[in-house]
Amino acid sequence: MIVALCSTGTALNADLDSRFGRCSYFLFYNTDDSTFHAVENEARHAEGGAGSRAVQEIADNRAEAVIAPELGPQAMDALNRLGIPAFRQGKTLNADTVIKEWQDGKLERQEKASVQEMHRA
Amino acid sequence: MRVAVLSGKGGTGKTTVSTHLAALNPDALYMDLDVEEPNGDLFLKSEWIDEIPVTVSYPEVDEELCTHCRKCSVFCQFNALIVAPAMTIVLKEICHACGGCAMVCPEDAISYGERPVGEIQKGTAVTGNTVISGAMTPGEYSGVPVIKKALTLAVEYDMTVIDSPPGTSCTTVASLEGCDLALIVTEPTPFALSDMKMVVEMLRTMDMSMAVIVNKTGLGDDEVYGYCRDENIPVIGEIPFSRELAEAYAEGEMLSQMKPDIKKVLEGVWERVQAESIK
Repeated sequence: MIVALCSTGTALNADLDSRFGRCSYFLFYNTDDSTFHAVENEARHAEGGAGSRAVQEIADNRAEAVIAPELGPQAMDALNRLGIPAFRQGKTLNADTVIKEWQDGKLERQEKASVQEMHRA
Repeated sequence: MRVAVLSGKGGTGKTTVSTHLAALNPDALYMDLDVEEPNGDLFLKSEWIDEIPVTVSYPEVDEELCTHCRKCSVFCQFNALIVAPAMTIVLKEICHACGGCAMVCPEDAISYGERPVGEIQKGTAVTGNTVISGAMTPGEYSGVPVIKKALTLAVEYDMTVIDSPPGTSCTTVASLEGCDLALIVTEPTPFALSDMKMVVEMLRTMDMSMAVIVNKTGLGDDEVYGYCRDENIPVIGEIPFSRELAEAYAEGEMLSQMKPDIKKVLEGVWERVQAESIK
């Protein structure tokens, strides 16, 4: 399966991004063959609805799970409705480490938006 | 004549000024378009005679017809539709109801539903003024639909005083539609001046006439006067800071206890408002 991560760079050892909708890159890691690819996050240029647009990119890349920083209400709602589980990246610094933590079942599920207020354009 | 009362910073006295101006002119329509927090009626104490719901439309996707081609999602500037391989979802709250997704859908799979976003009340104040007051449903994204709907109800009045939303948001801009004069209520403090400058800049791009009332004079500094002089904006009234007035405000009793000196200031303001809006 493919898991999506929010990163500041295109390598697995790059720092994770602290934002979801406006992160710099999405990393899509395939657990079946341990390969990954990086996609520049076009959603970060969106005037509004960046979280929702980011979910569209995640769906386009066939991700079945998301490891993310805090999620806003629109992104959370969209992921829940699409049946894509979201996990909290916490304070982990890079994709390499967080993927291992996730595979070991150490990451917390995100089911409710941590930020209740709507981000405004 | 339609006058919008604006502030920039909140708490400068926008509601105080707009309700008092209306009270001095019982024939005037008072509109509370500060739809996130309409509080003019704390003073006007209206008897409501009509409630008008405000709704906006949103897309509904027929999954039987949808082929998940992504055209709607690509088209939507607000990212209100997400198309996954086997499912299309709509985020109602961020839809701006432009109708574009239904137009670009090749399968005719999109229709529109309606959802409530606010309410408008119409009634008569204790002062005799007709009152139209808009309120957003808490948690809604935008108050603009409520304001637009309220303004359609205000067309037949000769004289209108509008309590606009503070700041320079979309709702503030929407409340200025069709106004002849923007009356900015400020206080002589650096914070209020800073926010007022943004309001002035907004009004200049809208090419709207403006005038300033300085409230709570005697506090702060004099910078606001220098700014108004440099920008050629007339200061048409000054209300001295008074603990008594603040206490009356807190009791919701300002109108009934209007002090002769404040009444005089506001009568002067009204005369200038009429003169400025004809200019």
